[in-house]
Amino acid sequence: MKPIWTLARREMAATFDSPIAYIAGVVFLVATGLLFFFGLGGSDDYFTAREATLRPLFDYAPWVLAVILPAVTMRLLAEEKKSGTLELLVTMPVTDLQIVLGKLLGAVGFLVVALLLTLVFPALVLSIGHPDLGAIAGGYIGLLLVGTAFLSLGVMTSTWTHNQIVAFIVGLLLCAFFWTGTDALLKTLFEQPPPALQLLNFQTQFSDFARGVLDLRSVLYFVSVTAVAVVASTYSLQSRHWK
Amino acid sequence: MTATATSSTNPAAVIQVRDLVKKYDTKLALNGVSFDVRAGEILGLLGPNGAGKSTSMKILTTYVSATSGQVTVDGKDLASDAVAIRAMLGYLPESTPLYNDMVVYDYLTYVGEMRGFDGATCKKRIAEVAATVGIRDVIGMAIGTLSKGYKQRVGLAQALLHNPKILILDEPTSGLDPNQIVEIRNLIRDLGKNHTVILSSHNLAEVRQICDRIVIIHRGAVVADGTVDELEGKMANSHRLVVALTPAAGTQADAVRSGLAGLPGVRSAVLSHHSTLPVAADTFEIEATTDIRPEIAKWAQTAGHGLVELRRKSMDLESIFQQLTHDA
Repeated sequence: MKPIWTLARREMAATFDSPIAYIAGVVFLVATGLLFFFGLGGSDDYFTAREATLRPLFDYAPWVLAVILPAVTMRLLAEEKKSGTLELLVTMPVTDLQIVLGKLLGAVGFLVVALLLTLVFPALVLSIGHPDLGAIAGGYIGLLLVGTAFLSLGVMTSTWTHNQIVAFIVGLLLCAFFWTGTDALLKTLFEQPPPALQLLNFQTQFSDFARGVLDLRSVLYFVSVTAVAVVASTYSLQSRHWK
Repeated sequence: MTATATSSTNPAAVIQVRDLVKKYDTKLALNGVSFDVRAGEILGLLGPNGAGKSTSMKILTTYVSATSGQVTVDGKDLASDAVAIRAMLGYLPESTPLYNDMVVYDYLTYVGEMRGFDGATCKKRIAEVAATVGIRDVIGMAIGTLSKGYKQRVGLAQALLHNPKILILDEPTSGLDPNQIVEIRNLIRDLGKNHTVILSSHNLAEVRQICDRIVIIHRGAVVADGTVDELEGKMANSHRLVVALTPAAGTQADAVRSGLAGLPGVRSAVLSHHSTLPVAADTFEIEATTDIRPEIAKWAQTAGHGLVELRRKSMDLESIFQQLTHDA
């Protein structure tokens, strides 16, 4: 366990040492803030809804996370590959799985900090109304889960290349695909998409959390996606042995 | 050609490498490499670029796996006990990859924690290692701001931090300036007193200076394995001599060359250099079947040439290769 924590701490420090963390953090806060208060022109924004709820935040935040989180994960392994430090890292007495988990955990640290900063929204809502606290807690748990799944996809793409830009773009596309693109794909493939496949969509799985419903199946779904991405990342790291 | 490597077990060997083959896609990087490393020795892996030195080291450090073959380190099998073996090794890869944005001390702390040290042990070891490799002055600086020589020392520090049994150093002096090279060589020689060291180089002079034993790799195969003296003994059927003479008055350089070429045992004599300072002299390179330096001295005296220099030319890597791979 210790190497995982050590790596996670180093990665978090390195993330907050680089401008990426601050750019990503500011983009996240500004974008979610704007969407929360003004929406996309519909009637779902905070002012129009006239309701003490964080629904607008939970509706929009995952979109923003899908864009900024691949920027946080892009350097995690691509940079180590490019600079050659990966060679020293993987020849320390740690397993490749521990390396992937440590990197992911460091990125989750950033996510937690970003989410903590958004607590200003529930604080605001609490100060002027009586929102459903359970719904808020559920929404935050959902954001943490979907964010971690995005991060694990980003870590995976970062193991595929030594080019951070490539890692970012592919990561962004994968996150966007899982968040919203699977629906479009299914609609082009099937006239009547099988319900089981429709569940692959992150948005479908997330919608319960946003409503404040903590569905164990959805929790399990996001944990599984993260686990699959972690295993795929580990295999990608190990592929150096048989290349 | 190999003296020791073909025996199947060697109780004194801390590392045994047997029949290592490594294929990268279609390229055969190693083609049946075998050698031993004995406890406490400094072994030099020598070879031109692309010979397979780095690949051998990457396999020994568990960075990549061999396509076939076996490596045991301290009795443990590399394929099945990789993590345990990594704990025994200190590794400095070629070109010293480090995190440039980290401060030296923070980096070494990170390495110590990754190797399982608690805070107090880590602090103590960093102080010891910093003194050993001479980085106390720069311990608070960002790695990216250091000179190449200091970066190399930081690289050595991370390799030494856990006081490993075995140090594997891939071209530790490449890219350094002459002063830094001397410093790092001295450092490695000191480290060799307490560690088993494998280092790679394409510089024979360096290996001769530092190493107890040399394994020469060429085109993915071991072409020689032995001490410097043993290897040079194998080259004994050819002697390269350097003679510098001030020709006797009225004698042309070409006449001197013919005179040298006519001595018994001389295969060839070539005028290589004419110098005027500090004394006018012609330098000849001679290839002979035996070491005929006494005969040359006698001949020069008889012919009235002034002998300025007479020495055996140390074998450079190139000539050793020419010999070792002559019939390969």
